[in-house]
Amino acid sequence: MKEVSITINGRSIKTTDNKTILQVVDENSLDKIPTLCNDDRIEPYGSCFVCVVEVEGVNRLLPSCATKVTDGMVVNTRSEKVLASRKTALELLLSNHYADCIGPCNNNCPANVDAQGYIALIAKGKNEEALKLVKENNPLPLSIGRVCVRDCEVACRRDIIDETVGINYLKRYVADIDMGHMWTPEIKEEKKGRVAIVGGGPSGLSCAYYLRLEGYQITIFDKLPELGGMLRYGIPEYRLPKKILDTEINWITGLGIDVKTGSEMGKDFTADSLLEEGFDVVYLAVGAQGASSMRLEHEDETEGIIKGIDFLRDLQLKDKAELKGVVGIVGGGNTAIDAARTAVRSGADKVIILYRRSEKEMPAHQAEIDAAKEEGIEIKILTLPTKLLREGNKLKGVECIEMELKEAEPGERPKPVPVEGSEFEIKLDYLIGAIGQNVDISFNRSDNEVDLERWGTIIVNDKTMETSRKKVFAGGDAVTGPFTAITSIAHGKRASGAIDKFLEFGVAKGAPEKFYSFKHRFNDVPEHELYHAAKVQKEKMKELDPAYRIKCFDEVELGFNSEQAENEVRRCLECGCSEYYDCELRQYSDEYGINIDDYLGEVRKYKVDYDHPFITLDPNKCINCGKCVRICAEILEVAALGFIKRGFQAVVKPAMEKHLMETNCISCGNCIDVCPTGAISEKYPFKVLGNLPKEDHESICNFCSVGCRINYKVIDKDLFYVSNSTESIINSHNEGYLCSKGKFGHRYLVSDERIKEPSVKRNNVVTNVSWEEALDHSVKEVKRIIRKYGPESVAVFGSPKMSNEELYLLSKFARKGLKTNNIASFSNLFHGIEQDSLDESYGITASTAILDDIENSDVVVLVNSGLSSENLIVEQKIKAAKKKGTDLILINSSEIKLTKFADLWIDSRKGTNTVLLNGLIRELLNTKKYSGNGDGIRSNDLDSLKDIVSEYNREKVTSMTGVSLEKYEKLLEMISDQSKNIIFIYNIDSRLEKSSNDLKAIGNIQAVTGRVFSPGNGIIVLRDYSNSMGVYDMGLSPQYLPGQIKHSEKREIISFGKQWDMDLTGIFKPVDLSKKLAMGDIKAAFIFGENPFVETENLKLLSSFEFLVVNQMFIDQTSREANVILPASSSIEQDGSYTNSDTRIQKSKKIFEPENGIENWKLIAGLASGFGSSGFDFDSIDDVFNEIKEVNRLYNDAEDNVCWNSGREISDPGISLYETIVDTIEQKKHSMLYSEEYFNTKIRYNLKRF
Amino acid sequence: MVEVKVGLGTCGISAGGYTVFDELKIEKDKNNIDFELKETGCMGMCYREVLVEINDDNGKWLYAEVDKIKVKKIVEDHLISGKPIEEWLVKMGKSESEDPFFEKQKRIVLRNCGEIDPNSIDEYSAREGYSAIRKVISNGSPEEVIRAITESGLRGRGGGGFPTGLKWKFTREAPGDKKYVICNADEGDPGAFMDRSVLEGDPHSVIEGMMIAAYAIGAEYGYIYVRAEYPKAIERLRTALGQADEKGYIGNGIFGSKINFNVKIKEGAGAFVCGEETALIASIEGKRGIPRVRPPFPAVKGLWGKPTNINNVETLANIPWIINNGPEAFASMGTEKSKGTKVFALAGKIAKSGLAEVPMGMTINEVVFEIGGGIKDGGKFKAVQMGGPSGGCIPASMGDIKIDYDEITKTGAIMGSGGMVVLDETTCMVDLAKFFLTFTQNESCGKCTFCRIGTKRMLEILEKITLGKGEEKDLDLLEELSYKIKESSLCGLGQTAPNPVLTTLKYYREEYEAHIRDKECPAHSCAALIEYKVIPEKCTGCTLCARNCPVDAIEGSVKEIHWIDPEKCIKCSLCFQACKFDAIEKI
Repeated sequence: MKEVSITINGRSIKTTDNKTILQVVDENSLDKIPTLCNDDRIEPYGSCFVCVVEVEGVNRLLPSCATKVTDGMVVNTRSEKVLASRKTALELLLSNHYADCIGPCNNNCPANVDAQGYIALIAKGKNEEALKLVKENNPLPLSIGRVCVRDCEVACRRDIIDETVGINYLKRYVADIDMGHMWTPEIKEEKKGRVAIVGGGPSGLSCAYYLRLEGYQITIFDKLPELGGMLRYGIPEYRLPKKILDTEINWITGLGIDVKTGSEMGKDFTADSLLEEGFDVVYLAVGAQGASSMRLEHEDETEGIIKGIDFLRDLQLKDKAELKGVVGIVGGGNTAIDAARTAVRSGADKVIILYRRSEKEMPAHQAEIDAAKEEGIEIKILTLPTKLLREGNKLKGVECIEMELKEAEPGERPKPVPVEGSEFEIKLDYLIGAIGQNVDISFNRSDNEVDLERWGTIIVNDKTMETSRKKVFAGGDAVTGPFTAITSIAHGKRASGAIDKFLEFGVAKGAPEKFYSFKHRFNDVPEHELYHAAKVQKEKMKELDPAYRIKCFDEVELGFNSEQAENEVRRCLECGCSEYYDCELRQYSDEYGINIDDYLGEVRKYKVDYDHPFITLDPNKCINCGKCVRICAEILEVAALGFIKRGFQAVVKPAMEKHLMETNCISCGNCIDVCPTGAISEKYPFKVLGNLPKEDHESICNFCSVGCRINYKVIDKDLFYVSNSTESIINSHNEGYLCSKGKFGHRYLVSDERIKEPSVKRNNVVTNVSWEEALDHSVKEVKRIIRKYGPESVAVFGSPKMSNEELYLLSKFARKGLKTNNIASFSNLFHGIEQDSLDESYGITASTAILDDIENSDVVVLVNSGLSSENLIVEQKIKAAKKKGTDLILINSSEIKLTKFADLWIDSRKGTNTVLLNGLIRELLNTKKYSGNGDGIRSNDLDSLKDIVSEYNREKVTSMTGVSLEKYEKLLEMISDQSKNIIFIYNIDSRLEKSSNDLKAIGNIQAVTGRVFSPGNGIIVLRDYSNSMGVYDMGLSPQYLPGQIKHSEKREIISFGKQWDMDLTGIFKPVDLSKKLAMGDIKAAFIFGENPFVETENLKLLSSFEFLVVNQMFIDQTSREANVILPASSSIEQDGSYTNSDTRIQKSKKIFEPENGIENWKLIAGLASGFGSSGFDFDSIDDVFNEIKEVNRLYNDAEDNVCWNSGREISDPGISLYETIVDTIEQKKHSMLYSEEYFNTKIRYNLKRF
Repeated sequence: MVEVKVGLGTCGISAGGYTVFDELKIEKDKNNIDFELKETGCMGMCYREVLVEINDDNGKWLYAEVDKIKVKKIVEDHLISGKPIEEWLVKMGKSESEDPFFEKQKRIVLRNCGEIDPNSIDEYSAREGYSAIRKVISNGSPEEVIRAITESGLRGRGGGGFPTGLKWKFTREAPGDKKYVICNADEGDPGAFMDRSVLEGDPHSVIEGMMIAAYAIGAEYGYIYVRAEYPKAIERLRTALGQADEKGYIGNGIFGSKINFNVKIKEGAGAFVCGEETALIASIEGKRGIPRVRPPFPAVKGLWGKPTNINNVETLANIPWIINNGPEAFASMGTEKSKGTKVFALAGKIAKSGLAEVPMGMTINEVVFEIGGGIKDGGKFKAVQMGGPSGGCIPASMGDIKIDYDEITKTGAIMGSGGMVVLDETTCMVDLAKFFLTFTQNESCGKCTFCRIGTKRMLEILEKITLGKGEEKDLDLLEELSYKIKESSLCGLGQTAPNPVLTTLKYYREEYEAHIRDKECPAHSCAALIEYKVIPEKCTGCTLCARNCPVDAIEGSVKEIHWIDPEKCIKCSLCFQACKFDAIEKI
């Protein structure tokens, strides 16, 4: 490593030559260089070429991620050439990215309402959230949910399989649910700025709504008596009941919007007058309400001729129109159908629609056409009225001519051409022309003119909706000509954004352009690509019976019920990418303003691999960055993924092009987090939410004792998943790596079986009760038992996954509140055989080395640990250390996954490890270096140790263990090399076979060789659960008080008692709790978080329990037996600290409010107080932690992310003396934790199924 | 004794060499004639295989295009009756006049090819074989060897042209307990077969070259990375290694010294990119052949992370000659910065295709016209494509350019490993660029964005142009992409992939423009832009064209003028090739 000086973007930087340009730029925050293939945890790769920079004197561009700095280097990270090259790189990548960023539904909606998002929310039962999402872009879902033209559905891919998803029905569904109370949005702080909105139709309302939310003062002007525009005056009652429209409009105006109806622009005011009056901005949304002429002679002076739009409007303004006889309607759009169906309802005897093309070409919505037919309306296609037949002024009929269709240019509708000589007559009493509308330009008086198109629409800047006049904006039909309500709404929102900017900065600005990838840009999506979705019939919305409905104006469509909604949401194919927010390719694409038009060509297409239960592989989205391949091969050394093929066809696929499940994939999910796109993504336990933002919440993994840092990506409560992609996690002790438990296991937190309310069982009947009642009942009953049997008949049990604070409070509750020493964790009480193994020699039983020491050791000896399934991240750390030259010795009878990585595998027979270790001690003591009594070891202990091991000579050891002499000698050689640093790793909770006293013997080896606390040496004691260590540290054992104070430490016990303001000497005394349980001496128990009755043999304990209080998150065997259930809050519903296997104390933060209404630590404190105990009145969980720091001798210096046992000085490391037993410890083990049970049955089981 | 040698390189074998060899053996036994029948490698005149050389008191007689029937007559007339058959001969005994194909060549690398039996270490030894390595081991320090190679001016013959001595020096100086030499025999350019011929014809010279390199850099291990598509080369290499091992030339304590040298053959699966040094190393290590970022260069961190020297076959074959003849002798040939000779594989529209070794400094015209005998079938010389898919074309107008690394680079082409494809007026330059780009695109390892997708997009544009669907903006886009790909690719494959496009654009832009603007292919080669038509005046009504048409697009009865239905015609060109009266034209 050499010091170098370099210049980056003109700045001189001093650094060292082991760094890459990218690292130097990042470290000095000189620029934000994009990169897709770089990961600092693995070797530079240099494939994406998005991170290129220009280096003086080099004619090529260099990938900054892979180019090391050299002295005198002059770098430019932002030159034009660099930016152009990066842009092209991104364009090329995206020209081969067969994927959808967002759902086509979302994209095709003029207002970009995130349909996939709200469907996903409905699927999760979050109807209100769904509605809020709709209202982010469409404030009128009640109305639009009834009348929309559904461009979303036009784009819906489901159509390829069967029928489109009923997206609009679903929108209406959530809006209808909301109608009862109408969710109120939050209005930002009032801002200066008055906006006049001319026209109260959908566009005006939309603009008003969004501007009001920003805090502006809004007045809506409308010439008609009521707001609503075409929604009110163009859409008939039976489609959109005006009561519903009123509800929605009132909800908007109710946000504090002034309304001036009956006030017409051009007559009562002008844009100028509004601005003079003090309005800062005017938004013109005057619509297109003029009806187009049919261009028939005498059209305007014939009685019986009605303009369609006037017909519909008048119906709203006046009483019901009375029609009789035969009514003809000319046109094929929605207005024609509306007019026809209204005519039926207005008393017409017969209604005929005359349309010049065929039904296929009718612009009206098919459902409307069908409904019209059901109502007996005749549709005469290929018919064009040419002449009015009159009797005087009165209409008698029309002469029509038959049309035929001429083939059209691609993208155009076929052209109708008259068939010569085919004239015929139809008798009519009325003729309604519904062939189009136009903008009535009377609003635009010459003195306040905005520029108009030739045909009357207002000319605007389509990004900002600004007109030719400053301060005047426009949108809706007045801009587009007669078009759709949703487009008008989109204009309103777009204008609101620009107006907001204008009012704030003086310049209107549109939203930045975004790049979206879409499959259909490359080609039509074929059906086989959607092979994973089965055909499911679309839900039909119930309608009024035609016979009934034609007689009235009642709403025809009756809405979805919840069951229909549930069925329909399931049909959504979730086209939009789940990684929308995390996709780096996308982010850079927006940043570099890319355009792939020049590069559209062949695109790679692959079948998506959905086989894995938790991981979806979509190679279509792969950009060949190789990060997954390299992490899988180089870090995890699994190599389940690799590159296949060459050239353009090169892509990442599972080994041998199999399905991922057929490879040796260990389902750790680390590939998901390194993937910069959505090529490898997690299959969520919920529908994909498209582009909803996610919040990062860093936390601690709740599974094993490695205590990995994890990140909850939270979309909403119950909508989250675990990732490890934040920078601080990548810099943590697990370096951002996770195992399948950490990655997928936390799904148990959203299990449906969650208990939310307290309950009490009386006479075998369970009733939900209030917290007060549940607690009172518990206290009363337990007090009764204490009175009857004494405090020693009560026991308290806590789970090794509870936080230190909870465990500490439990410990205090038992001893101070209940005055009993019957306190433990079932998990250890039944299985924790060796938990005190190192006490004798080291004072306490805890790791003497930290996990990060592994890479500093020369030799790692792993004794009986099934790391692959128990503590994968430790396995990964060993592999990493091996690459740096650490040797690995395995001691276990059977082959495990790590065996092939081991430098030496000692295959000792089951139960003979103590013999093997004894032999090692004997040999070590025989070598010159370790034979003395130096190094601070108590000499008398050493003599006793020599006695214990003296008989274990090589012959005896090899014959008893079955280990070959050659291997044994190799082991000896490696262990006795005094120049080497050696770490022993031992999982105290492991299910693998082991003999008792193994850990003691290991402790002795390290003590004898002086390798207890020196760097790179020591013992790492692994455990199974996230706070297995905390259980002991907090005294959740009859053997220990908090701080691992033992019965023998009389003085400590007295002084500890003082801190709790009590005398502990009579209470903290040796108890064999298992025996007491077995004898039936425990009459009442509090069980927190554990499920001992999952083991049927434990059920016999129940017979002696007269009263059982269970604190649990989920219904399980134990909670079913409880007399009182106190629902528990989860680890992410309260703050708390956890101590992992290398005694690292880590604080975890609350993410959600507890579902049960109370944080568990408060519950325990409350319970204790219920027993009249003082010392439980904590204001916050931090107070609890501070008390732990004060009273717990091991935690006096406790801080987040500090290992309390690291580097501890032991004045006299001693020797544990023991009897050598050749026997395998009985390890019939059933996890008593719901989380583990969930993992085993719902996660691991699924992985093994294949 | 009379020697009869049969050229049994891949070229000879595929022309039926073994049949000729077996026939000679039968005739020899049958007639009980006393001559020594021998195998030898490629003699260079691949276009006239099978070649049989008779070496008797009257000199060397080289028979071309020998087959089973000719063998009988050659045996009877020449070997039994002593009467050479002149009309079949390309080289006649002691006569001075040699075929100019041989006359203009200077054979150093190919010094033994076609001369010795590649299966015989003794024959190699008899021609100074293994004397160079003996020489350096007994009285030359590694530094001296490196100095000699440096002084000779030898540059890497794989295409890069990096000074070999300097490369050796870097590897020698790199710290490392183990070092490796690798012989890069992953010859991958389409139409190139120089390395194959050397390995097939003179494997020992390559092994000896490796040994000298190993000695110079301090390596004990060597790998020969040879493509599995060269079975004959592998077979002969194995034989050669076996013989060398038997004699104690390789292995531990070579030639009785304390020096060890072990060689392994690694068969490559035929990925072009594995010719790139770092990809080649990855491939030997059992990984996917993907180039990695350099530095560190293989000389510092190569195979298994150890300093590694990689030289191409031809480079290594030069080494023993340089040691034996001295660096001055080598440096006396060639130009100022390009010394020695270069072997070229002449292919394409050239009269005499085959292998030719020429001194550096010879002009392209000399190679094409004097050695290669000009353009096949009397066509007009249009250009040469040098350096294969990484190279570029040099137009005929620049035919006086000298064979010299730097001179050639100036044209936009590269010297490359020795592929020289000669093009005549019927070659469409757009199509040519497309051909080479298709190759590089297929052979890209797929790692880098620009090489993987950029070349694909270029190819699509070229395809569009050859289909007559090109747009005006396409040429700018092609150029822009070309430069970006060259600037932003990790390895040589990507950095040079656009060269064929860039050079053709540089010299033949008007051909591109004709495709785009006029929808015409000036070389009448692009199928979509041409039509086949019968010239009525020339048509004799022989029906041959109609009979050859695979889609029945040609109408006409015997003795009637035929007519090609343009709707049906798939432009396969079979009629055009079949017509004996030139009565079919492409327009």
